[in-house]
Amino acid sequence: MSSSPDGHDGHDRHGRSDRRDDRFEDLAGELVALGESLNESLRDQAPPPSAVARAVRARIERERAEADGRAPASGRRRPPFWRRRLTISRRRLAVALAVVLAVLLGATPQGRAAVTSVLRFAGVEIHVGGPGPLPTGLPSPLPGERRVTLGEAREAARFPVAVPSALGEPRDVRIADGARVVTLLWPGIRLDEYDGTLTVVFHKELGPPWPDEVPEVGGWWIRQPHALSYVPASGGEARDERVAGPTLIWQRGMVGLRLEGPDLPEALRIARSAH
Amino acid sequence: MDDDEAIARSLAGDLDAYEALVARYSAVAHRTARLLGAGDEAEDVVQEAFVKAFRHLAAFRRESAFKPWLLRIVANETHNLTRARGRRADLGARLGLEREPYGPEGQEEPEEIAVAADGRARLLDAVRRLPDREREAVVCRYFLQLSEAETAEVLGVRLGTVKSRTFRGLRRLREEVSDELLA
Repeated sequence: MSSSPDGHDGHDRHGRSDRRDDRFEDLAGELVALGESLNESLRDQAPPPSAVARAVRARIERERAEADGRAPASGRRRPPFWRRRLTISRRRLAVALAVVLAVLLGATPQGRAAVTSVLRFAGVEIHVGGPGPLPTGLPSPLPGERRVTLGEAREAARFPVAVPSALGEPRDVRIADGARVVTLLWPGIRLDEYDGTLTVVFHKELGPPWPDEVPEVGGWWIRQPHALSYVPASGGEARDERVAGPTLIWQRGMVGLRLEGPDLPEALRIARSAH
Repeated sequence: MDDDEAIARSLAGDLDAYEALVARYSAVAHRTARLLGAGDEAEDVVQEAFVKAFRHLAAFRRESAFKPWLLRIVANETHNLTRARGRRADLGARLGLEREPYGPEGQEEPEEIAVAADGRARLLDAVRRLPDREREAVVCRYFLQLSEAETAEVLGVRLGTVKSRTFRGLRRLREEVSDELLA
């Protein structure tokens, strides 16, 4: 098996050679020369082989760690150093516990040729790479949202509801979508708690930069305003989106939490006090 | 360490060996992804392909060559990507020759500089305009300099199909590019 291009054979199996094939030989030669000049420029665009090798190895090691069930709670799928965008994986990782960070291909809503990186973590699917949200959208109630007492919320929810001691008793408590989401409110602060282990509960669209990893709580910090929409338990399309402010997302056991309102240091203080 | 030894060690769990294999084929994998249309996402395609290759390494037939087996995964990933984009990407992008982020605005693309001098730009343009299947065959045979058998493996088609697609592609190119250009 020759690996060198020989153009069109020029001779068929009966040994005939015709003029048409001779002309193709010239053409084949030109194509090879053209390919070589393309290769030169492509070589400059390729990342260094050693960097590719390290990045691939890191991904394999992470997969092994996941398979062994001893995955670290954070720090996965860091972008290779030569680029900011995350690697692409079309394989959705099994979501058993803790962090799941799958990076998929996507397209922007306008169908532009762009990659949207997707971060899935604690029931929140974050699409990074679009233009970011339009400055519209008012907070709208979640499906079936109603005001309850904290005790009622704890009764109704299928998960333990944490109240950050740093904030004290919430001013307002809501449950929504069959108590799938419990929302605690203080002035200027909103804390959503939900069963965040198996399905996507919230959907976020944002432009760069990528969210910051927050190892202190094993979560992510989205510093910029972003489009937020709720994905109902009944499935189907995400509901109308609104613009959310900077948000900390983390997970506590099986519960996903998103805290919106405070700045990062304050958000961390609150998160650490959530028991 | 040759490919076979690297694969044997990788199968035994030696990631150093697999890293060596990745480094060895990284450039050709990248080139393949670019030329088959991955565009800017070629790096991601290549990484994904190598991870998948590792997962499926046990299915690799050791008596055959690693390169076309790997490049088939790269080609499939590239196909998935272009499908996911939900569009028939423009042919410039399909050839991986879209504008690059480096260099000042308006500067000629390096590949254009390289090919402009001798009329190859017209040939390249004609390749871009080929129907997908013919272009893939032409890209594999001449730009990637793969044999017909390798091309068949990479594109997942029979040898006869490679021959006929290549032939049709060349005929079309010949019709579009005048003889004096190639003189």
